[in-house]
Amino acid sequence: MSAAAAASPATGTTHRRIVDAAYACMARDGIAEVTLEDVARQAGLARATIYRAFPGGRDELVAAVVAAAVAEFFAGLQADIGEVADVTSLLERGLVAARRRLDEHAVLQRTLQAEADQIVPQLATVMPVIVELLAAELASRLARERLRPGVEVGEAADLLARLALSFIGTPGAWDMDDPAAVRRLVRGQLLAGVLDEGR
Amino acid sequence: MTGATTPDLAPPGSATLAAVDGWASDYVTIDGTERRLVEAALRCVTRWGIRKTSLDDIAREAAVSRATVYRMFPGGKDRLVEAVFCHEAGRLFHEIDADLANAATLEELLVSGITAMLRVVDDHAVVSSLIRHEPDLVLPHFAFHQLGRVLDLAEGLCRPHLERFLPPADVRPAAELLARVVLTFGFRPAAWVDPHDPDSIRRLVSTYLLPAITPSTDTHVLETT
Repeated sequence: MSAAAAASPATGTTHRRIVDAAYACMARDGIAEVTLEDVARQAGLARATIYRAFPGGRDELVAAVVAAAVAEFFAGLQADIGEVADVTSLLERGLVAARRRLDEHAVLQRTLQAEADQIVPQLATVMPVIVELLAAELASRLARERLRPGVEVGEAADLLARLALSFIGTPGAWDMDDPAAVRRLVRGQLLAGVLDEGR
Repeated sequence: MTGATTPDLAPPGSATLAAVDGWASDYVTIDGTERRLVEAALRCVTRWGIRKTSLDDIAREAAVSRATVYRMFPGGKDRLVEAVFCHEAGRLFHEIDADLANAATLEELLVSGITAMLRVVDDHAVVSSLIRHEPDLVLPHFAFHQLGRVLDLAEGLCRPHLERFLPPADVRPAAELLARVVLTFGFRPAAWVDPHDPDSIRRLVSTYLLPAITPSTDTHVLETT
């Protein structure tokens, strides 16, 4: 898997090559074990080149790898979901597809088992950006829906983005493989206070 | 103990420590020795943080043998962090129990509960300093599969209160939703959800949460799907 596939094009090919190499090393040896020497060897680059590209060293590189992997995850998710105009379908399809992608993400699953102390804080760092991006997606759909009295698009989008990510990471009592359960979750819980269905 | 000088952590004898008066035994069953250990652990963690607290420190603080500590926490410090957070959640619920029990409506109940829980993150020296200073040790307990245990705990704490207003089958999903709301705004505050502004919490509850957890919603969904 190419971790940098979804990274900003402005980062250039050297950045991308280094991030890809670092992802490969981290997936193989674990985040805590990775050294810049390993990454340099994997990328076929000099250590100095890596320092030039990532002046913050190892910490900056690990953060960049996580950010790239997260970006790739959501790009893949967007492709799974396809074009969706309404917020209900977006959430229903999104929850199912995201859950499946998480389950099938072998590197993430292994890392969560072995190195939760490394990966979870890294993910928590990028979480505000993810919430913001997802909230923007949701807000553009909410703006076209009939909302219940008192609902404000920005608030609703923020709340929905936060809760959707929570349910994706941890389904709790909800069976995300059961379409009826996902419908109940999305329509009966997430959107119950948001959409005006003519009640 | 070399970590005793860590300046940013709450000093021993802070108000938080004085407030550790008891275990909410109604909610989480725990026997005398474990309770003594958890309270000793909380005092150690308050002084030194999680990383610098060893199981030996806790044994000394609780005045029990090392073997007892290791028997009680076979999972080592991982189980310890969990125990401290469970203890604090239980204690907090115990403290606000009267408020929750006196709530006349579900809305009042949710506003009281959410406000109190969100303020913990702001005001509670141990909890907030652990989140700030040792995120690598704390955050994994609140994400992915480990969050499932927190949701179970939340269900246990919320059930007696929610059951006054909801059918038993609706309690679990409601407690889960509330726990997720508290955790997301606790860890990542938003301007529109401010625990020190009662109106904002009331608005969150009445506009967004009540329709999601009241039974009439389910009927409506079944009718329209």
